[in-house]
Amino acid sequence: MSEQPEPAVDAAVVAPHAAGDDPEALAGVYEAILFVAARPVPLDRLAELAGVPLGAAREGLEALRRRLEGSGLLLQAVAGGYQLGTHPRHADLVRRFLQREHGERLTRGAMETLAVIAYRQPVTRGDIEAVRGARSDWHIERLLEHGLIREAGRRPTPGRPVLFATTELFLRYFGLNDLAELPPMGERGVQALLDTTQ
Amino acid sequence: MSEPRAPDASPRGPAGYAVKVPGFEGPLDLLVTLAHQGKIDLATIPLADLAREFLDRTKRALDLNEATEALWMLAALVEMKAKLLLPKPPPAEPAPEVGASDLPERLEEQLGEYRAFKEAAAALRALEEYQTRVFVRTPQAEPELLLEGVTADDLFRAFHAVLTRARTARAAEVADEPVRVADRRAAILDALRRSPGGVEFARLFPGRVTVVFIVVTFLALLDLIKDRQVRVQQASPLAPIVVVAAQP
Repeated sequence: MSEQPEPAVDAAVVAPHAAGDDPEALAGVYEAILFVAARPVPLDRLAELAGVPLGAAREGLEALRRRLEGSGLLLQAVAGGYQLGTHPRHADLVRRFLQREHGERLTRGAMETLAVIAYRQPVTRGDIEAVRGARSDWHIERLLEHGLIREAGRRPTPGRPVLFATTELFLRYFGLNDLAELPPMGERGVQALLDTTQ
Repeated sequence: MSEPRAPDASPRGPAGYAVKVPGFEGPLDLLVTLAHQGKIDLATIPLADLAREFLDRTKRALDLNEATEALWMLAALVEMKAKLLLPKPPPAEPAPEVGASDLPERLEEQLGEYRAFKEAAAALRALEEYQTRVFVRTPQAEPELLLEGVTADDLFRAFHAVLTRARTARAAEVADEPVRVADRRAAILDALRRSPGGVEFARLFPGRVTVVFIVVTFLALLDLIKDRQVRVQQASPLAPIVVVAAQP
């Protein structure tokens, strides 16, 4: 009981078994929580659960990341939260165990359309078509169906065209933490990206 | 304009629907783009050949996703060509000469922008490639959520795909034995008992079975969903649909 907790709104929900600030102990706590979590868990939620400041939570996660090195799992910062996933090197066996076939991928046209939306959002159909030089209705419909994009209001111009933006699922699908993590536009985009994904 | 094809990030990545007709060889979406930009004269492209080839291909193998997209692009081409062939009304006013001089510049600018986005798309493809090899816990939703991440529409589409495949495979149509929903229900439950992790939707339908068998199996599946004995999940929008036994 060394620290005097600030009168935070959630002071009441601070876990009774707080692991303290020890990163190694926190790593275990977070490993357990993320193991059962069905969705990425935000950092502040992890801090609150263990009753530690954000910085300590971050250190705990860093310790967990180190601990998982060489294991079959990895820790990912995705869609504003943290999640445990299986390491890609085991993908083939995991897929076989889950009896899943190789997942369907986005088609090339859909990917281009999605790229325009992701980097320029919010955009209208017209904006997208101006860049692609081709009609994109089909791709937009598919992306909406997949839940990778959503309608985000209307542009206050004549005709009030619908605006499109990416969704939280978009971030999860591409393993991005937020839109700032989109690979930089330009030739070095792909390489920079391959360097950062482990 | 030379069109270096952007290499796909993976050999398994969707390569696009490629066509070869007199006057054009390459991905269909490129043809649409070039026609749209007026860089290729559609009047010289035999669309009938493209249509025939499309029908031939769908008879051999049907990837609903690719086929629908190709169909959409073919329709766009037909629309453009039809407009092209219609007599044009005389221009009401002479086209403004102002700005015409910088047209090539603006075209070049637009093309550069398009290339940048093509690269961005390639970068996203690399991310997709990586992330589809990372598996996360499938959401365990409340018992009431019988369809997780799946809409009834998705389910129907999956069913339709199986049906189309059977039709294409020209499965034996002689149903020598009546197929009963009750039997198919039992068979599905049995398959789920053997695979606690769930069974992929398409695997509920073995190859070379009759259309009746497929329809009845699908009915049995709907029945089981309604009775809350099975749940249907899709981990991500593009992942396969998986049927799992509902926890008691």
